[in-house]
Amino acid sequence: MLRYTLRRLAYSLPVMVIASFILFWAVRATFDPLAKLRQSTDPGALHRQTELLGLDRSVPEQYLLWMKAFVTGDWGTSTRTGGAVLPMIGSALEVTLQLMFWGVLFAAVIALGIGIYSAARQYSAGDYVLTGLSYVGIAMPAFWLGLVLIQVLAVWPRQQFGLSEPPLYFVGLHSVGRTGINLDYFRHLALPVVTLTVGLVASWSRFSRTAMLDALASDYVRTARAKGVPRRRILFRHALRNALAPFVTVVALDAAALVGGLVVTEQIYAIPGMGRLFLSSILAGDVFVLIPWMLVVAVAVIVFNLLADVTYALLDPRVALR
Amino acid sequence: MMIHSRNDRRPPSGPKRRRTPVGSALAALAVLVATGCTSGAPALAPGTNSIRDVPVKQGGSLVIGAEQEPDCADWISTCAGSIWGTYLMQAQTIPQVFKVVQQGNTWVPVASDLMAATPTTSVADGRQTITYTLNPAAVWSDGQPITSADLKYTALQIRDGKDVFTQTGYDLIDSVATPDPRTAVVTLKSPYANWRQLFGADYGVLPAHLLDGKDRNALMKNGYTFSGGPWKIASWVRGTSVTLVPNERYWGPKPHLDKVTFQFTTDTAAEFQAFASGQLDALYPTPQLDVLSQINSLGGSANMQVETRTGNLQALWMNNSTFPFDSPAVRQALAYSIDRGAIVHKLFGSLGVAAPAQSFLSPLVSAFASEDFAGYRRDPAKVQQIMTAAGWAKNGDGIWAKDGRAAQFTIVSLAGNQSRELTEQILQSQLRQAGFKMTIKNTSAANLFGKVAPAGDFQLGLWTLTDTFPEPTLDATLASTSIPGAVEGSSGINFIRAKIPGLDELLRRVRTEVDETARIQASRQAEKLIAESVPSLPLGAVPNILLTGKGVGGPISINPVQGPFWNLAEWGLAK
Repeated sequence: MLRYTLRRLAYSLPVMVIASFILFWAVRATFDPLAKLRQSTDPGALHRQTELLGLDRSVPEQYLLWMKAFVTGDWGTSTRTGGAVLPMIGSALEVTLQLMFWGVLFAAVIALGIGIYSAARQYSAGDYVLTGLSYVGIAMPAFWLGLVLIQVLAVWPRQQFGLSEPPLYFVGLHSVGRTGINLDYFRHLALPVVTLTVGLVASWSRFSRTAMLDALASDYVRTARAKGVPRRRILFRHALRNALAPFVTVVALDAAALVGGLVVTEQIYAIPGMGRLFLSSILAGDVFVLIPWMLVVAVAVIVFNLLADVTYALLDPRVALR
Repeated sequence: MMIHSRNDRRPPSGPKRRRTPVGSALAALAVLVATGCTSGAPALAPGTNSIRDVPVKQGGSLVIGAEQEPDCADWISTCAGSIWGTYLMQAQTIPQVFKVVQQGNTWVPVASDLMAATPTTSVADGRQTITYTLNPAAVWSDGQPITSADLKYTALQIRDGKDVFTQTGYDLIDSVATPDPRTAVVTLKSPYANWRQLFGADYGVLPAHLLDGKDRNALMKNGYTFSGGPWKIASWVRGTSVTLVPNERYWGPKPHLDKVTFQFTTDTAAEFQAFASGQLDALYPTPQLDVLSQINSLGGSANMQVETRTGNLQALWMNNSTFPFDSPAVRQALAYSIDRGAIVHKLFGSLGVAAPAQSFLSPLVSAFASEDFAGYRRDPAKVQQIMTAAGWAKNGDGIWAKDGRAAQFTIVSLAGNQSRELTEQILQSQLRQAGFKMTIKNTSAANLFGKVAPAGDFQLGLWTLTDTFPEPTLDATLASTSIPGAVEGSSGINFIRAKIPGLDELLRRVRTEVDETARIQASRQAEKLIAESVPSLPLGAVPNILLTGKGVGGPISINPVQGPFWNLAEWGLAK
């Protein structure tokens, strides 16, 4: 397993190099790192910055310079804030990972539960209701759902019951002056996590239902039934374990996309994560944040893919990791 | 003169908090309306010009929503691009020589309590001398007195520094003499009419004893611990909030509140819900279309101030060097094709704004303005007459054409800005009726003000200029020397490449004439010349809106220069 993991990581390196060059080239081609200086009153500013950043060199040369600095931990300086990029992305990533952790955890458990129920009771009233709800969930855009949840779960109860404060908060991850994992944190976290979870459950539940139905239609399940194995045991011991493998793959791949994909949720709830960092950087044309940001997201995709493969092998002994 | 407004980043350079093209969201229309603040209105309804003053108690804290997070707090540097930085931190912590106060219907600069007396100025042998006498009671938060050395340090940092947002005015400084710790004498190489802006709203005064010989940018960019104002920065958590606490050594009236936190809430809808749920005590929202409906939905749960005498002026910018606007006839005809009043009314009629701007000077500098654009009203007959006389004729599609080229063009503005998109759609319809074909191609603020506009790579633009000091600075927008690249090191924002014969000299006089009467006269002559040439077309001023919860007290009003929180020290929890 370890050898396989190391080999996969080694294979990932050339992919990362190619991806990073394409990203570097694409961002350089679409953004002007010197835009802020174009109207400078200092006639030498443009020239100095061009030299400092090596912008007078070819794109491959610029890339090599940047990559050399990147691997040594020098991720550059944001043109927007003047701050170092590494801690900026690190802090945003930490926040997004918190949101992702809770969102993916709840969504996976709920989606799996729905999938098992729907598959076990295919075409029942409950199955139809859950299927319908999942389509509603898929159709609801995050920005709309977020605002509705705020209104229904925070604003309305406060107004309706004359509370001094809303039961759930929705600005940031902590109240002013508060830190750490405590009740205040969870009161802030609840709404963004629900927003995230609803979308994930909607699509994952469809997938888990299908995977469970496939498993339940398998010969080994039919054999188990013929042998008189209890229904519960068939569901959880035989079918679920086989259905889990493809489900985990989907979860891992979707989770990777969440690293950079929570723009709307973070924007609505004023959470300073990766999505919000991306938005502010792209609006400001801050190439020195955008390139490493994209690379971090690309790394996340590779890591989560690897995780999916390893988990698949752990869940299904028939899959040999070589 | 700046190409942005409070909800924008400042453009790459160009005078800081002076006049800038509006970079993002705000950009809607408003007008040169002589009415002032609307106070205490539960919903959108124009009211009287008044400050809402509610008695307050001592202590407590407030949380205020901030739509934008500043990039940095080194106010001299180009990274301090957000006007929100001024509202949240600079106005609260950095002492300024002049402050802007309301006198009657106008905003005027007056000496602040940093000064022992109003600074004096004189011109001799073509050089201007300004004498500043500091208040002996003025001290920094560490107890050190604010001295003439601080003025000298600040002036030289701006004049000689690198990566300075704007050196306008400071580049004229020849010397700064400090005969004693309380007196500074600044000598300018040539007269500068906007001298009150020095050490004023742009930069203020920085502490030499803490910064001299050190890396100012590194010490200030992420916030700083010193203060010469009523508040100190207690913390700045990036992406989350800025917290202010009282500066115990402030020599003026101390703040009533124990703490004020500005929470960054960049989503407008969520911001309003946070306000409605009590998580935020005050808001200063961009007056976009959805904001107006959001305000209405608050009903009587909020107090609202509306300031229409702002420094925000939205205009249609025609590129005078590009077809078809290289033709004065087309520019004039376009001015007669548009019903500017209808556009303004559509956008901000509910706020009491009903008339378009008739000058390129915003309401903040209305003392220098005239009404020369008032003659340009929608008049299809006039359009026909002008275009025909210039040799244009309508083609089979009903579009004006000349020498085989149709009068069709593209307008560029900021993508995602609802007010502007609505304005563009109205314009498109009105212009089509007049025989012009306009297509819309919007882009991001960074691209528009970083690339497109400076390069003159547009035909028609829609953006806002913001005056943040009651001094006219039209030379930055319309003087031919302000065309980007026209002069080495030029910081001008004459993106439309306007070259109006005789205008440069008039604007030079406006810039250098120290005598106020002669200056106003020159400014009005310049306005007349501009209106005759129609290099572009003013649409209207953009109002500012401040919302406060019922629990917030104090004398609450919007200062168009220092922002809505200019007197935050006087705010408190309502008794």
